[in-house]
Amino acid sequence: MEPPKIWREKRERYLAVGIKCLDCENKSFPKSEFCTKCSSNNVKEYKLADTGKLLYFTQITQTAQEMIEYAPYIVGIVELDDTLKVTGQIVDCNLDEVKEGMSVRMVFRILARDGNEGLIRYGFKFAPS
Amino acid sequence: MSKVGIVSYGSYIPRYRIAIEEIAKIWNEDADELISQLQVVSKTVPGLDEDVATMAVESARNAVNRWGGNSNDIGAIYVGSESRPYAVKPTATIVAAALDAEKTLTAADLEFACKAATAGMQMCIGLVKSDMIDYGLAIGSDSSQARPRDPLEYTAGAGSAAFLIGEKNIIAELEGTYSVTTDTPDFWRREGAVYPTHGQRFTGQPAYFQHTIDASKGLMEKLGSEPSDYHHVTFHQPNTKFPLSVARMLGFSNEQVEKSLICKEIGNTYSAASILGLAHILNHSKPGERIFMTSYGSGAGSDAFSFMVTDEIEKIQSYPYSTNYYLNRKEMIDYGTYARYKGVIR
Amino acid sequence: MKQNVYITGFSSTKFGEHYDKAASSLATKALLGSINDAEIKKESVQAAFFGSLVSGSNSQTSIGSTCIRECALQIPITRIEAGNASGAAAFQQAYSGILSGLYDCVAVVGVEKLSDYVIGGTIEKILGATIDYHWEFEMGATLASLYAILTKAHMKEFKTTLEQLAAVPVKNHKNGVKNPLAQFRREISLDRFLKAKRIADPIGRFDPATYCDGASSIILSSSKIIAENPDIKTKIPIVGLGHASDTLSLHHRDTLTSLQATKKAANQAFKMANINAKDINVAEVHDSYPIGEILAIEDIGFFPKGEGGKATEDGLTSPGSEISINPSGGLKARGDPFGATGIAQIVEIVKQMKGEAGERQTADFNYGLTQNVSGTGAMTYVTILAREEVGK
Repeated sequence: MEPPKIWREKRERYLAVGIKCLDCENKSFPKSEFCTKCSSNNVKEYKLADTGKLLYFTQITQTAQEMIEYAPYIVGIVELDDTLKVTGQIVDCNLDEVKEGMSVRMVFRILARDGNEGLIRYGFKFAPS
Repeated sequence: MSKVGIVSYGSYIPRYRIAIEEIAKIWNEDADELISQLQVVSKTVPGLDEDVATMAVESARNAVNRWGGNSNDIGAIYVGSESRPYAVKPTATIVAAALDAEKTLTAADLEFACKAATAGMQMCIGLVKSDMIDYGLAIGSDSSQARPRDPLEYTAGAGSAAFLIGEKNIIAELEGTYSVTTDTPDFWRREGAVYPTHGQRFTGQPAYFQHTIDASKGLMEKLGSEPSDYHHVTFHQPNTKFPLSVARMLGFSNEQVEKSLICKEIGNTYSAASILGLAHILNHSKPGERIFMTSYGSGAGSDAFSFMVTDEIEKIQSYPYSTNYYLNRKEMIDYGTYARYKGVIR
Repeated sequence: MKQNVYITGFSSTKFGEHYDKAASSLATKALLGSINDAEIKKESVQAAFFGSLVSGSNSQTSIGSTCIRECALQIPITRIEAGNASGAAAFQQAYSGILSGLYDCVAVVGVEKLSDYVIGGTIEKILGATIDYHWEFEMGATLASLYAILTKAHMKEFKTTLEQLAAVPVKNHKNGVKNPLAQFRREISLDRFLKAKRIADPIGRFDPATYCDGASSIILSSSKIIAENPDIKTKIPIVGLGHASDTLSLHHRDTLTSLQATKKAANQAFKMANINAKDINVAEVHDSYPIGEILAIEDIGFFPKGEGGKATEDGLTSPGSEISINPSGGLKARGDPFGATGIAQIVEIVKQMKGEAGERQTADFNYGLTQNVSGTGAMTYVTILAREEVGK
């Protein structure tokens, strides 16, 4: 895991910070220097809502090497209370407790570890609220 | 002189638990005997994607959200732990970023076995009182390791608690703090070692009990207070027996210590143990109540504190993610799952 | 004279596990094979476009360099990457190279070497680069898990059943039996798909197309070459091309029950060919997951939205029906060497056009179509071929 990338993405991964366009009000995640709707560079940081509802989910049993130690795990698309949608893992619940439409809140977790000596990528996941 | 004290508090306890009985079964030990000795029935186990940093962030966010203030006003963050994810690279910086509290602040990770967090509280108190900062955040977070089959395995748990210290909107005013420190090798982990080693019975009388008693008596003497003046007391809880015994030795009743005793369900949360007890007490306190706390850290030392609960407490007690919330949220796991979650098998 | 681009030669290696061959050997075999098939001197090939997903990220970057050395050629080479649709992307670039007047004869080679990589490890990471790597893959999603979500969305909206979904690979394996170049030439029962372990519910272990090795090559020629060589044995005109994109991540899309890039690319191609979906009787579509084929046949317009599952279950996409889908066995039975797949799809249509598809031959048709998809539909390429008589 590359130090500059971990550093560059920390506000997005830790705090779910995206952007809001001051010209057209469009909100977008992840961050961008330009509005993803009107291309204005008159954008400021915008912190996504930290609660929402689960739209779709699936339990993953087969995944990439850096994530295999966590499998099986649940991943889904969450619509946040401010209508923005993100992909994330659903934790602190078993598969039979997960339902489409259930309320979730952001929690802070490990996304992946770069072996025993590399960096740790932290970021948001979702837990039932 | 200006007042200083606790402005807010937050807890975090992982969801997974393993029963003492389940561990005892693996090693062919008598579970009933262990449970009656330790008065612990289960302990917490962090999930595969949890570590000291994630738990510290969760408890810190609970403290900040409960308070409702601006995280940029936090001038110091100290994370006390003995099981940090990085040997070199602070956990406190991760917490600062995750709280959106970068970047004008001082921060450090502290290690003093199970009392690093109360040392952090004292540092915050000092910084606030000297007007160097407005608010300081002291966190205790541990995901302690125990060698399989070692007696520690029955209690080594995981959890975190965070305390916001400041001068404004104080919910528990500090009346005084007092520390004792000696060089006492009762428990240690060498650089690079996976599991800690301990001095068995030596961890009791000359270590836990002597330091806890000396610090507690020292503070009460300094304040001119006595055990009966306090509504609640919390001690370091490596098990339930030790705090009950030391309370009795100091002249506190079972009722005074009872509210703090969450160790029975979650085991020893190390740096978080005494302060998780404090957080739990605060959530059930009323204005005007006095709270006594003495931590203990191997190596060894104790920090004693005396607090007076203020009217402000009632404003922040309804925050949903309390110690109780986490205590009630649990899933029991078997030894195999425990071994996997603790990284013994991968 | 209206400028057209024609397919004048083609060749494919067998798809499967070529443990003894490097990527360049596979590419060389396909390229020289297509030159032989076109009955031209290799020196006539003026440029080559290589479609490959993996080369460069996990192995040799300039896959074309090693290949043309083995072919003893010194021509301009370009490697095109468009995820799983790299083959079709290279094909469109080669087409443009001729239509622009830059070249009269070019080769396009799709190649991939995947048996070196571990499934349940490296392959998932490679495929992670075809979805939103930072905000899907690194958040824990896999390509399979996103197709699982697309499957769930379709099941929820249109009551598509697991049996209907499994009918896709059942049919494609049945077709694959008749394709000598397919990796899997055996039928798999519906029951086996339904009872398999789930890798990302509702996607079962046998549902994804298998990642394998292979190369396919096509020779493209200008109208000028066709005019100068009346005896040329293969001359299939390319009459429709479409290429469209959609958001990389599923969470940025408004709908999960259709792939907008497929719709747009198909519309472009139909418009260019001046035909509609009803004129197509054979199509090779991107069935990397069962839902992929169902979305494809709906979004291209072969069946109304929501009826793709039922149509497949009812046999309306099987050989002999009005529209035969994936007569080659599709990605599922043929195997999926990512970059080679888009070219192999076109090769199958060419064989069908020439009546060389053997037991899987589609009778009496004028137009054939291919659809090649990257990731979960971030890029789709549609190609329409016609019989020479109708496509002039």
